[in-house]
Amino acid sequence: MKIIVLMKQVPDTETKIQVKPGETAISTDGVTFVINPYDEFAIEEALRIKEAKGGDVTLITLGWDKAAEALRTGLAMGADKAVHLNDPAFLTNDAHSIALALSKTLKKLQYDLILCGKQAIDYDNHQIGVRVAEMLGIPHVAVVTKLVLEDGKAVAHREIEGGTEVVETPLPAIITCQKGLNEPRYASLKGIMQAKKKPLEAKKVADVDASPGEVGQAGAKTVVLTLTMPPDRAAGKVVEGEPEDAARQVVKLLREEAKVI
Amino acid sequence: MDFTIPEEIEILRRSLRKFIEKEVLPMEEKADFDPDEGVPQELLKKVRIRSHDLGFWGIDMPEQYGGGGLNTMGTVIMREEVSKYFSSLTQSIFGGPEGPSKILLAGTEAQIQKYLVPVVKGEQSCCFALTEPNAGSDAASIETSAVRDGDEWVINGLKHFITNGPYADYAIVFAVTDREKRARGGITCFIVEKGTPGLSTGKIQRTMGGGDSQCELIFEDCRVPHENVLGEVGMGFIAAMTFLGGGRLNIAAGAVGMTEKLLKASVEYAKQRVQFGKPIATRQAIQWMLADIATELYAARNMVYHTAWRIDQGEMMVKEIAMSKLYATELVNRAADVAVQVHGGMGYMKELPIERVYRGVRALRIVEGTSEIQRFIIARSLLQE
Repeated sequence: MKIIVLMKQVPDTETKIQVKPGETAISTDGVTFVINPYDEFAIEEALRIKEAKGGDVTLITLGWDKAAEALRTGLAMGADKAVHLNDPAFLTNDAHSIALALSKTLKKLQYDLILCGKQAIDYDNHQIGVRVAEMLGIPHVAVVTKLVLEDGKAVAHREIEGGTEVVETPLPAIITCQKGLNEPRYASLKGIMQAKKKPLEAKKVADVDASPGEVGQAGAKTVVLTLTMPPDRAAGKVVEGEPEDAARQVVKLLREEAKVI
Repeated sequence: MDFTIPEEIEILRRSLRKFIEKEVLPMEEKADFDPDEGVPQELLKKVRIRSHDLGFWGIDMPEQYGGGGLNTMGTVIMREEVSKYFSSLTQSIFGGPEGPSKILLAGTEAQIQKYLVPVVKGEQSCCFALTEPNAGSDAASIETSAVRDGDEWVINGLKHFITNGPYADYAIVFAVTDREKRARGGITCFIVEKGTPGLSTGKIQRTMGGGDSQCELIFEDCRVPHENVLGEVGMGFIAAMTFLGGGRLNIAAGAVGMTEKLLKASVEYAKQRVQFGKPIATRQAIQWMLADIATELYAARNMVYHTAWRIDQGEMMVKEIAMSKLYATELVNRAADVAVQVHGGMGYMKELPIERVYRGVRALRIVEGTSEIQRFIIARSLLQE
């Protein structure tokens, strides 16, 4: 079974995010980067399927030079090979452009199943898996917490408001992964050393038959106008006095100032 | 000069952090034991086995014996990282004297297979029995003796302060085999299995840091076969000193990690603790304490890293290892003192882990060569140069 995992390198969740004035992207100074946690579920699921049914796992990411570290981490977890869309002309935060670059890459590869996280935790677009599926003309099931593979088809459990939906889809298909699907393994020292010998192929725009105008920032359908930090939380208001008066005052404030009741 | 930490070490460090945060700390929280009474052995073993499965336990041991073959630089960074948690179970991730011991590499292939490999797998544990009531820093003055009798050696004597003594599957024991030669060819190293007639554990020796893992080992006409001599007869002291030298850099690295954790806890507390209408972090008295520890931490970490890097380049770093151990362990004691002071009354309460760390780090200026012995090694090296 040929499994492909689409993954992204994102700032560590423990990183303190900073935006320099006038910039439209976060500052990368002193930031540590990790595999997007939802993509880790995708990698783990791919590895478990491979271990159960045989086959191989290919990782694909689009990103700057440093993103190769995330690919090598995935290889250290047990994936077989990796493709790095590494060209300044690919770089953008626009979901359409990224999905187009990925789908053009995928058109030149063989796959039975494509897995990715349901969202990346940096810009939270929730777009890539779904868009790539549309561009490839294959089905997708999003926000999956359980995946069972049968002959030529997959049965996926997905979280919906107040319940679980069970969806069957023919393969190949794209599954976007949600927390609860599995518990990702850690890269071991042995795996890390083996990963150094696994193929990691860097691709430029021309390598995926894309024209420079259609991918990256040039092909973006959206433009980030401004990026600002949330305002500091204002200090709370302390209401003093006898309970009866205080309660009356709180209700008044909730109604007139906060306008929540 | 390139001071970048290699990518593979960073990836490994992240794996270690995940293992601790997702598995070890929740296990510790659930078990809810009092570390002063002793850490439950079954939990330590559980962490050890899991740590082995993940490749952390025995990480610096040779690959052909089931270890990870990690270099010195990688090892000190892992030792530093694992010490950044207020936790008792994390000690079982890489292990201390109970864990895989490089001194066993001096053994025959049969000894390595029989004794080292099960410890590398985390299935067994050992202990290092050198110290005696009258032989601490002056280890060459040990009185435990071993006399050859045919194919056997007969050991008599008393060891004390032996970490993991009560639980070890075997002991690595040093005994005098030639009273004239002593350190110069008269001390031999033996492997003595638990349950060998004549070997018994004496009293549990409770410590300031808590726990129940130190004890006396008593040898009364304890007979061990000649094949249990580790290395050559008479060469045990040199092996012991080499082994202790290697372990000191790990202690320094652990002290660096602990200092960072103590500093971080102090900074966080100082920012949120309000007295006289302002966080205490706004007071110069507090700021200077934190600034001094941060400065020394920067120095200590770079000493440890640089020493490790030079060891990996094949250099002998006896003096620098001693310097790193001396500086980092003295520093962590100051950092613990500052942490208690910044936390004030809360720092003294058992409710927070600070007071326990304060007690625990005191041992680091004593074990594996006191601060005075480190200074002696440094001075000796200076005067010989």
